[in-house]
Amino acid sequence: MSDLDVGIVIGGPQGGGIDTSANMIVRAFALAGLEVFSVREFHSNIKGRHSYVHIRARDSVVRSLRYPVDILVALDPDTLFEHYSDVSSGSLVIYDSQFESSDLAQARMIMRDTQRHIAEHLEKHNQPKTIKGVLEVMKEAGAKLVPVPFDLTLVEVVKDGPTTRYFNTFGAAITMSISGIDRESMEEAIKLVFGNKENVVKTNLAVVGKAYEYCESNRLVGRKIEKTRRKPRYIITGNDGAAIGKTMGGLRFQTYYPITPASDESTILEEHEDLKWLTTEGDDLAKGGVVVVQTEDEISAIAMASGAALTGARSSTATSGPGFALMAEAISFAGMDEIPIVITFYQRGGPSTGLPTRNGQSDLLFALHTGHGEFPRIVISSGDVEETIYDSMNALNYAHKYQLPVIHLIDKNLANTTELVEKIDPRKVKLFVQRIEPKNEGFKRFNIDTKNGISNFGVFGKNLFWLTGDEHDELGHVTEDPAMRDIQMEKRFRKIEFASREIPLEEKVMVFGPKKADVTIITWGSQKGLVLDAMETLKSAGINANMLYLKMFEPFPSEFVAEFLSTAKTVVDLESNMTGQAAQVIKANTGINIENYILKYNGRHITEDEVVNGVKSILSGKEKKVVLTNGA
Amino acid sequence: MAHNFRNDVAIDWCPGCGDFGILNALQQALGELNLGVNDVAIISGIGCSGKTPHYVNAAGAHTLHGRSIPYATGVKLSNPNLKVVVTGGDGDLMSIGAGHFVGEGRRNSGLTVILYDNEVYGLTKGQAAPTMELGNKTKSLTKPNMFGKVNPIALALTTGYTFVARGFSFDGKQLKDLIKRGISHEGSSLIDVLQPCPTYNNINTMEFYRKKVYKLEDDASWNPVVNAGDKDGASKLAMALARAQEWDDHIPTGVFYENNTIPSFPKRISQGAHEYLESPPAVQAVADRNGYTLVDPEATFTDKILKPVS
Repeated sequence: MSDLDVGIVIGGPQGGGIDTSANMIVRAFALAGLEVFSVREFHSNIKGRHSYVHIRARDSVVRSLRYPVDILVALDPDTLFEHYSDVSSGSLVIYDSQFESSDLAQARMIMRDTQRHIAEHLEKHNQPKTIKGVLEVMKEAGAKLVPVPFDLTLVEVVKDGPTTRYFNTFGAAITMSISGIDRESMEEAIKLVFGNKENVVKTNLAVVGKAYEYCESNRLVGRKIEKTRRKPRYIITGNDGAAIGKTMGGLRFQTYYPITPASDESTILEEHEDLKWLTTEGDDLAKGGVVVVQTEDEISAIAMASGAALTGARSSTATSGPGFALMAEAISFAGMDEIPIVITFYQRGGPSTGLPTRNGQSDLLFALHTGHGEFPRIVISSGDVEETIYDSMNALNYAHKYQLPVIHLIDKNLANTTELVEKIDPRKVKLFVQRIEPKNEGFKRFNIDTKNGISNFGVFGKNLFWLTGDEHDELGHVTEDPAMRDIQMEKRFRKIEFASREIPLEEKVMVFGPKKADVTIITWGSQKGLVLDAMETLKSAGINANMLYLKMFEPFPSEFVAEFLSTAKTVVDLESNMTGQAAQVIKANTGINIENYILKYNGRHITEDEVVNGVKSILSGKEKKVVLTNGA
Repeated sequence: MAHNFRNDVAIDWCPGCGDFGILNALQQALGELNLGVNDVAIISGIGCSGKTPHYVNAAGAHTLHGRSIPYATGVKLSNPNLKVVVTGGDGDLMSIGAGHFVGEGRRNSGLTVILYDNEVYGLTKGQAAPTMELGNKTKSLTKPNMFGKVNPIALALTTGYTFVARGFSFDGKQLKDLIKRGISHEGSSLIDVLQPCPTYNNINTMEFYRKKVYKLEDDASWNPVVNAGDKDGASKLAMALARAQEWDDHIPTGVFYENNTIPSFPKRISQGAHEYLESPPAVQAVADRNGYTLVDPEATFTDKILKPVS
């Protein structure tokens, strides 16, 4: 084991294999036995605009990213322009020496506003508006420039087209060499990434060889990391976790309309529609696979998934803000007709199309209030990749147990975070299984003689009953009788009271760190791991921090939160939105007013250093609201 | 004994409404097909047509305006053994739900879509529906209709419905037979039903239609069916499209087109998922007898596990 803790940004044009190079890097680190964490940042664009992956690897658990980075790898000139401020003293900047002739004015794929900001910065530093200028700025900040003749070196091994196609592998391999990762791990990573594409593997291995040779002869070899063989681990994103959890949770019918960052989940389900089975008690039970249907729009997606639920199939859909907005009417219908349905809601930057490929947590209140009329729902949120697995199982369980729509919030940052997960325990979450007795005459789908509000579940194909969006009687026929209206409304809402009593506290809220602390950070979603890492850093700076981590917003654990906050000292609300929506939920449910905020709404992931500095600034009394601005 | 698809729920359509004819034909069709109570699901949207499921003694869902097709598709695809009938109005299926109507043609899931075509929005007091003629002024319109009309038959033919027919609500026998054929057809069917709205449409009345409708099947040479091996599929579709344009003096009813060569969506799913037809989502178990998942994450998502290749 070493004491490695390395942060990397690798960037290039969208479509230039940035994802692939990040996959190589992450796998090579992991194969060498390290812990890795990475987040993708990209434009809403297919080819050309700037995209990058921010990676951190170390030998102890890693749940966050930070600036400045140790290594910046630029696969195109734009990356140098976009990331000059990510480096500082000791950072290495790796780039193709040919980029040095580039000019900011030619960088047409950089957003006009960003270009202007870069130009202003260069002017301030009295540097020309060129790559040479930004390189000087980085040098001034203490970074070490490592120009590498990418093209000239690769031309010897790449015979099947332009060398730029292999810049990603070359850049990744140089990074690995500098990080002290052995060539063998990098080669294994190549084989994993390209699978059985023999020729592709061959050329990429040759590129890796060239990179390691170049590094050796130019002394670009880091302190060798002692390799530890680890048991196989899952290397998965939040999108993967949700897909895995859903299948384990019994999902058999998924619908979707393409939207970023949600559709990856459905694609993953499609790829794995052919489910594999455990050898357990139940070998003889009916098995099949998961059906995934791409619909004509999101209204169809929610309606179709609801229709499937009427036959007893566990069903769900996945979408993002704009699609969720279209689903509102059908979510209200699911509330009215007590349809068990899960909507996995991937949040991105809003309003409207907003920042379609960027992070955001501005849809919490929307999830809580979507749909006309009053009806019970459950709203949960996941904070790390492992949670997405078990929360997805729980979401399906809640939907079926309480017969209502469940909205599962995952932010874009988490959807696109890659983490290593040691193992997945198929027995961690027990499934709630509906027992359906065939019954027709006299079957009351919405029977009112139920203490906890839960009526007989019935399915089309086994039971005779009706559903209507109108208020209805016990059979499901329309009624406008005032007394039956009250009875049905109250019956539906008894379910959420029951759920509130029955669902264990740890599925709703968690406290991390010491019971008493100098500062309590309230957060939800993908900031969970970030705060855990920041708490350690704060501790070494003499600041005792703990975290109130919220998972369930409806039903909300009001009593626990109120009691916990009543003894807290300085309380800081940390969210990826502008208006502190979780703090608003706390206020609405407990009356407690949160006074300090660290907020970020530029769509980029929050980094550990931002949280640490923000907390310090609030504790020093300098400001009550810190707005974070990092990220390219 | 055959199941009785009639029930005792009080029907609140206006006297003389064409909906009664459709309901009767549907109930008869289900009975004559010898379907059991648990073999059928009736799905509707909003409006007078939307009330139909409540009046049929079979599982029914009276869903959202325009959304009957996606709800019905969900039912059908998770349990393809069910006969799923959609009862929708012209506003429901041709305006607010037009996108779903088109989507269903592309899928060909096997729904039987019955279009209650009376050219007005009845339940909201007689606004013009998408099937109303440009310039018509029915009695509750403040000025003549400013919109051109959509042709449901042509739309169905060009979007992929594999059984396309038209009935008339006052010809119960023909309508019942069309519904029976639609339900028996493996792919999706549209049955456009001409019907008066006696309260709001004083133009397209029962008499109006009685004078104009004729039956395609009365012409012995009319053969709209495409079966495997037939080489005249394209010309039959063109023939159907030509007939779909007839309206002013002679309005055709009967089967315009039936294509038995295009696989239904359940068939398309089963080509990739071989157990699908035998174990569709609705009948699959999700947990073992101890309540734990049946899915093996390691074996299913083996590509997500980091293992050295060499």
